[in-house]
Amino acid sequence: MNSNVLQDSLKIVNKSIKANNIEPYEHINWWFWIAIAQFIIIIFLIFTLISKNNQSLKRKLKKELSDNTIDFDNIINSSFNSTNIYNELKVKCHPDRFPNDIKKNTIAEKLFQEITENKNNIKRLLELKKKAEQELNINF
Amino acid sequence: MLENLWNNILDWFEDRRERSSLIRSFNSSAKNAFISGVAPTLLKAKISKGNREYRHQFSNWRNTGFRIQAFAGRQLSKNELIKIAEVILSDEILVRRLIVLGWDTLEVHTDEGNYGVRFQLKDRLSLPKF
Repeated sequence: MNSNVLQDSLKIVNKSIKANNIEPYEHINWWFWIAIAQFIIIIFLIFTLISKNNQSLKRKLKKELSDNTIDFDNIINSSFNSTNIYNELKVKCHPDRFPNDIKKNTIAEKLFQEITENKNNIKRLLELKKKAEQELNINF
Repeated sequence: MLENLWNNILDWFEDRRERSSLIRSFNSSAKNAFISGVAPTLLKAKISKGNREYRHQFSNWRNTGFRIQAFAGRQLSKNELIKIAEVILSDEILVRRLIVLGWDTLEVHTDEGNYGVRFQLKDRLSLPKF
């Protein structure tokens, strides 16, 4: 039953194709596809030209960074614990606490500057704390 | 020409590997710090969509956000979130690496909702011109 319906429909289609002079298989339009391929190549070349400088600079920066390691333990520790140490150090190592001793005042000035620069680096702050204990005789 | 294309493909795969390796290292350190009691809040880094307005010359095509989620069990204040971001941004080597690996946005979020802070990475570093 189904095959009969299918055969009939095929016959009708063939008749309509013949009646309208439609070719069952159209020729492939090669020129169209060549134009598309050329367009893609041109876009690719433009993109490569733009990204070339970017890539070389990126490689250079990457090379510079490859020697340095990131201390994530210190970063995470600093995120939560550096504020207290910084607040303590900035008060106790302030140069104004040594107005009469010129030598200590100079040391405190340098130390204070370093403390401010490294206020988010707990590792460095702890080193500076030790330095302050030794050079300025501060008891924490 | 083909060699250049090949290098770009290799770079892309290498960048992908480095990006996931960086995130894994961060998460591992954060987990250890939380377990040992050094950090009262568990931090977790992941890749997010980012902000298109913060794009720079090394930005990836998509997923340019480096998001840190803070699991504190409470709503962290804005200052606490800014502090976490400030610590990351003050590490110049980390910022450089984030930029080179295609990130352009740093986000610090709480575990609840979309409350958080967002920073532009290129603000912290003068990128070379070409």
